[in-house]
Amino acid sequence: MSGRPLVLCADDDEDNLTLVALRLERAGFDVARAGDGEEAIEAARTLRPAVVVLDVMMPKLTGLEVLEALRADEAFADVKVVLLSARVQESDVERGLGAGADAYLAKPFRAGELVAAIEELLR
Amino acid sequence: MSKGTSIASLSSSEPAVPAPPDRLRAGRAAWTFLAAGAVAIVAYFVVLPAHSNAQSVAFVLVGAASVTAICAGAIRHLPAGERLPWYLFAGGLGCQVVGDTIFAVYEIGLGREPGTPSAADAFYLAGYPLLAVGIFLILRRLGSQTSRAAVLDSLVVFFGVAIVQWVILIDPFRHADYLSETARYVSMAYPAVDVLLLVGFAQLLLGPGGRTVAYRLLLVSVGLWAVADEIYALDPSRYQGGDWIDALWLGSYVVWATAALEPSMARLALPDRRQLPRLTTPRLVLLGGALLVGPVLTVYEKARHGSNYAYEVAPFTAAIGVLVLLRLAGVVRAVEGARRSERAARHEAEQAQKLLARQNEQLVELDRLKDEFVSSVTHELRTPLTSISGYVEVLLDDEADGERRSYLEIIDRNADRLLGLVSDLLFSARLQDGRLELERLPVDLREIVEHAAASARPRAESARVALQVEAAALPPVLGEADRLAQLLDNLVSNAIKFTPAGGRVSVRLEGRDGTASIEVSDTGIGVPPDERERLFDRFFRSQTALERQIQGTGLGLYISKAIVEAHGGRIGVRSAEGEGTTFVVELPLAEDRS
Repeated sequence: MSGRPLVLCADDDEDNLTLVALRLERAGFDVARAGDGEEAIEAARTLRPAVVVLDVMMPKLTGLEVLEALRADEAFADVKVVLLSARVQESDVERGLGAGADAYLAKPFRAGELVAAIEELLR
Repeated sequence: MSKGTSIASLSSSEPAVPAPPDRLRAGRAAWTFLAAGAVAIVAYFVVLPAHSNAQSVAFVLVGAASVTAICAGAIRHLPAGERLPWYLFAGGLGCQVVGDTIFAVYEIGLGREPGTPSAADAFYLAGYPLLAVGIFLILRRLGSQTSRAAVLDSLVVFFGVAIVQWVILIDPFRHADYLSETARYVSMAYPAVDVLLLVGFAQLLLGPGGRTVAYRLLLVSVGLWAVADEIYALDPSRYQGGDWIDALWLGSYVVWATAALEPSMARLALPDRRQLPRLTTPRLVLLGGALLVGPVLTVYEKARHGSNYAYEVAPFTAAIGVLVLLRLAGVVRAVEGARRSERAARHEAEQAQKLLARQNEQLVELDRLKDEFVSSVTHELRTPLTSISGYVEVLLDDEADGERRSYLEIIDRNADRLLGLVSDLLFSARLQDGRLELERLPVDLREIVEHAAASARPRAESARVALQVEAAALPPVLGEADRLAQLLDNLVSNAIKFTPAGGRVSVRLEGRDGTASIEVSDTGIGVPPDERERLFDRFFRSQTALERQIQGTGLGLYISKAIVEAHGGRIGVRSAEGEGTTFVVELPLAEDRS
């Protein structure tokens, strides 16, 4: 299992989370799941994923807050972060990329796009 | 005279500017009368023997001619309803003529002057109120001297003149033992009625601005008459018919008549609408002079006769003082009032500004809330759509061709449509706020056109519509590629939607005079003329679209127009019903290579 990169997915919408996980598993990644922002940070600390895919609008901590926490921590310097959000205005995208996201994808997403973006980041 | 000549020369040398002949004659009549009057006055002294009967007759004739001329002028220049003041002048001066006539009859017929008092005195005295009322009416029609301040000024002048007349001209006759009691009263009456004329003169002097020639003539004539009267009144016993003072009275007659004949008498001055007459220099001189009258008179009389008019002068001076005080109080109050209302206005303006600022804050807040609302609604719609499209995609991956796959494709397509609708709604909400900020990057339109055509091709094929593309290589357009792609997608998919099977949609891109022209034509049902203007309105749906149940939201063209305009371009439509529609977009090219 160690050969496959670990992707941590965080989304408060169970159905969306399952969909993302399913898509990534089918694409050959190891996948860990988190149901909100706090869980996402905990899981990131213990599991050390290569990539974190964050929904933005989550309870407790938003995706942006998780992203900021990760970016503030030296230990996560190499972690790639993808924001996957239904908030699609230019201002949202700018704010996400400004906070240090490596990619910003809009929901609904095409599986191919998401996988391609992650593979690109891991190359 | 100079005016008469200039008008005459104007009409002869410059026929291009014809003066109305009627006016010309009227103007000339006034100056002719003045000239004739001047000649008559000179003849009165030079040709006629001094203190002769001929002089008495001439005096009466000049007066009678002037009175006639005043009536003629009034009839000529004024409508019937406005002649009264001039008739009063004619009446007032006419009384003088009658008095003079009685005098002449006595001198010529009886060889002596009439006694004092005589019928002549009755006419002389009766004339003054008529003249004064005439002046008053004229000023009132001009709206002058009717405000409270002007009335105060008039009263000040009245009291000032009255006390001078009393002390210098009237009171001495009280003690003229050489006269009968009646004669004394009559002699006192002359300076008394002169007060009316002097006040009238002061009123005219202070009257409105924009004075015409006729107004000035009237002023001169009243002034001449008043001065002659005053000089006469200083020592009536020394006066004899044919004295030089006669020139003043005769002059007054003639100038008065000239004023009446001058066409500008119809509109003597600009109407005066001021509530508070300005304290002009003449006005201040009059007010100040009136204040000085009391002290000066007292000193003068004391020095000259050793007599003292304390009991007469004091009340008049006090009255004048009070009136001047009231007058100045009026000015001060008006200034204070103006300052108060200015302060109030400023206060109001500040309040209004604060209110505006508050409303502005509320608007900004509302704007933010609306933004937030649109944003979260979009988010809430997109989240379930993510699951629907996502899982359908998963199922489609696993499903081979067959009936089930085609059903899944239908779900997928409709989820896409729903997503497009959500995007358009969000976009149009932002357009409503006037917030479409574009990037300004070079965009290759040919690429955009070809890409739009390529992605529309499957839809065209399934609708059995031929899709032709002709795209020239052009310099770039400055703008945002995503928005221009959205524009092309909208136009091309619209064209396909409205074209029946077997039809053709063609997209053409070409450059012309620094402008990129994109034409999207179809062979569809066309747009009726009455719908063309509203075609780009928000949520507008054409009748045919509704009847034929062609899907849409009425946002596509609205958004397209906004995108084109944000790029500094234009969009229009050509259509013949039943033959098809062409949308034409023109966008400015970044540089002109042609």
